[in-house]
Amino acid sequence: MNWGLLQQANNSTNGSGNGTNATNASGGMGGGEVQTLPDTLASLLGLGDGPLVTFVMGIVAAGLVASFLLTLVAVSGIWGKRKITAAFTDRIAVNRHGPFGLLIIVADAVRLLSKELIVPDGADRPAYDIAPIIMVSSALLGFAVIPMGSGIQLADPEAGLVYVFAVASIASVGLVTAGYASNNKFSFLGGLRAVAQNIAYEIPLVVTAASVVIFAGSLRMSEIVAAQSATLVSLGPVSIPAWYAFVNPFAFVLFVAANLAEVGRNPFDVPEAPTEIVAGWQTEYSSVYFVLCYLSEFIHIFLGGAIIATLFLGGPAGPGPEALGFVWFVLKMLAVYLFTQWARSAVPRVRIDQLIEIGWKGMLVLSFANLLLTAVIVGVAF
Amino acid sequence: MSLEKPRPSTTDHVGVTEQGLDYEALADLLGDLVVGRESHINAEGFVVRPERVAEALGRLKQQAGFDHCSCVTAQEYDDRFESIYHLKKYADPTQEVSVVVPTSRDDPRSQSGNSVFRTADWHEREAYDLMGITYDEHPDLRRILLPETWQGHPLRMDYDQEQPQVVTFREHANPLKEDHREDDADTMFVNVGPHHPATHGVLHLKTVLDGETVADVDPDIGYLHRCEEQMCQQSTYRHQIMPYPDRWDYISAGILNEWAYARAAEDLAGLEVPEYAQVIRTMSAEMCRIAAHLLALGTFALDVYGDFTAIFMYSTRDREVVQNLLEDLTGQRLMFNYLRLGGVAWDLPEPREEYFEKVRDFLDDLPAKLEEYHDLVTGNEIFQLRCVNTGVLEPDVAKSYGATGPVARGSGIDYDLRRDDPYGYYPELDWDVVTEDGCDNYSRVLVRMKEIEESAKIIGQCVDLLEEWPEEEREIQSNVPRTLKPDNDTEVYRAVEAAKGELGIYMRSDGTDTPARFKIRSPCFSNLQTLPEMSTGEYIPDLIASLGSLDIVLGEVDR
Repeated sequence: MNWGLLQQANNSTNGSGNGTNATNASGGMGGGEVQTLPDTLASLLGLGDGPLVTFVMGIVAAGLVASFLLTLVAVSGIWGKRKITAAFTDRIAVNRHGPFGLLIIVADAVRLLSKELIVPDGADRPAYDIAPIIMVSSALLGFAVIPMGSGIQLADPEAGLVYVFAVASIASVGLVTAGYASNNKFSFLGGLRAVAQNIAYEIPLVVTAASVVIFAGSLRMSEIVAAQSATLVSLGPVSIPAWYAFVNPFAFVLFVAANLAEVGRNPFDVPEAPTEIVAGWQTEYSSVYFVLCYLSEFIHIFLGGAIIATLFLGGPAGPGPEALGFVWFVLKMLAVYLFTQWARSAVPRVRIDQLIEIGWKGMLVLSFANLLLTAVIVGVAF
Repeated sequence: MSLEKPRPSTTDHVGVTEQGLDYEALADLLGDLVVGRESHINAEGFVVRPERVAEALGRLKQQAGFDHCSCVTAQEYDDRFESIYHLKKYADPTQEVSVVVPTSRDDPRSQSGNSVFRTADWHEREAYDLMGITYDEHPDLRRILLPETWQGHPLRMDYDQEQPQVVTFREHANPLKEDHREDDADTMFVNVGPHHPATHGVLHLKTVLDGETVADVDPDIGYLHRCEEQMCQQSTYRHQIMPYPDRWDYISAGILNEWAYARAAEDLAGLEVPEYAQVIRTMSAEMCRIAAHLLALGTFALDVYGDFTAIFMYSTRDREVVQNLLEDLTGQRLMFNYLRLGGVAWDLPEPREEYFEKVRDFLDDLPAKLEEYHDLVTGNEIFQLRCVNTGVLEPDVAKSYGATGPVARGSGIDYDLRRDDPYGYYPELDWDVVTEDGCDNYSRVLVRMKEIEESAKIIGQCVDLLEEWPEEEREIQSNVPRTLKPDNDTEVYRAVEAAKGELGIYMRSDGTDTPARFKIRSPCFSNLQTLPEMSTGEYIPDLIASLGSLDIVLGEVDR
């Protein structure tokens, strides 16, 4: 369905824009001039560009990106989360292990991994084991097409944006699997809630993203980023770039809100809802499986941040030389992460029926209105 | 003055006169139902035949306006068992009457009052559980505090404490078993608790879900039953009982609880309390109320927001300030044990000026903090979406269940013992009783937040009084005999406004220095009973929110 919607949106852009879209013209649809990380690695090592080299270098590059992400999760998930929440709630948090309490990461990792893995009686075994892996991998796979700046992008397919949404939503399968396979009623409720929520919010999310595609005229991630590099307005020495967050703030707000629901953070954390259904779908997961669940949540938050940065915040764009792009990109991702933690500390959770109502009756309508408006503006202005 | 209660004209009720309650008129009303009279310190008692309890209660409720069944006490004499229904009026709780129902030793059996007062349901179950009196026509007479398999009734004189007990985990034998209430219904049974993030202790809600809505909920209590009543019965009036009240509602409401015992025992033994001690009691009790309400607010935020939110930590931080003040005063943070019969344990900490300054600093900072809570909590649109019109408790339902405290006041019932049944120094001070008409979770939160302001007003006035109190008149305790032995067969039921509502104590003396019967009327016990009324048919999150808004403490529910 995602694919169909986006295709449609894309076609309508081409139709109404009639080829006059500046970015469309400059970007082109067929080129592959952006050098991806595997290519860079291959050329650095002087290995040529045979299919085997591409394959091996792809694996190596993916390993590098995944390692970076896991490190980021370790730092922000175990240490940063505590520090941020503590700052919001007037506490100090970890400060005893190492500088700023950073060694808590090691201690926590050892603690979590050394815990007993308890598999509930009557769990649906292969499904129970596979679910956390599905969730983690779906989030990690999404990063394959994200242009993280400084030449770090694993692949740049033409349908990059569609690919991101497609693999990210595989997580729903993992959630429902975890929910029913745990043989626990709280898990079951949580799994069902997660699916209901993901369906309700994925559509507004994708439709809002489609409005960006109308602007950029491409589904290719690198082109969406490139389209935002123009200057929107110049205020003396300061020039504000044409990031889509500035061009269409309405879509930006919609997307950020829908993304909160997508990653399941307050006010939309009903699939876990600790005080209602214990821990939702992850109630029965312990030890390594719990780590995987936890990991997948955080990588999903970062993937959400990466998508927001790419679609609305100019990707790796920022002051300074282009080589700093990666730093800017990570900062933008962390900003989105900070926002989710902020919401978590201060915003009440909506009820499940209210959540579904907001999704279907509010966000969906707004996102289609936004799409229509964008199409009209692009059609008339360009 | 703000304390004037708009008293409804109750003159159309039987027995109400200008001078107070006319018990002869009530006796006439009950007519041949009355087989004897008793005189308790707090009220007259009418002895009623065990098979005509509901009729007597009904007449008193309908025609004499006794709409509040505060407590049901069961006790054993050498020759009989006895249930006492302590009736009051929400409009004027100083108008009290007791309905005494004696039953034979061989077959203790009397009619249930459940058809008149819904609150009798749990109270009679407790009486059955601990004393073994059987109530006919009771809808669901089973044990409430002890496990189903318990042998014997532990408050009976002939109870064998050495008897081995087998307690199975039967209710948890198979939590995954199929549960279909009707043949084709898709309902699901879920144990919410005894270990669940939202139950604030060991409460077990046997919940039947129909999808996301609650089809049925049955609170299962007793996990924290510590025989408090029995322990008090084995302790001497003078010193040994006072530490126990701290352990009922242990959410820093200790002094409020102690006052309940102090008030009942002082009335029983006819003790005076010096005015200076009353002011200190009033001040420290209101500090406890602020601490308790702040925690109630924080934990309610946990239920509605999720774990580790700013509100919970902020309220804990602000509660800490009150805790420090209480620690300075009593030397304790949790189990204060500060009140004594006839006064308080010791005077304010020296240097007094420093202490007053600390209290004033706290009071000065409070309005800004409450403003912050209103910004964060009650002003939040999602919070309102969640709390307005959820967990609705209609006033007449609340009255029937004997709900008191912020739960009753959130349902628009203007009932506060501090004003309506005055004690301590409250009548001399200027403050208001807070009520809200919403009847929902939101109203209950608002009532607690506004009560914090009122408590702060009271503390401020107390500090002013204490500061100017002449040094030679600072009498902290009256002259109380070393051993208290109230007259044989004196009975008293007295209640105070604790953090959660009406905390009452019934005591009967037998001429020794320990009470023959010590019964605790816990506000949480009665308030928790309303939970099924509030949450049946609502969503699971509303069940959790309603439970949080009741602000129960299991230590007080189970005792």
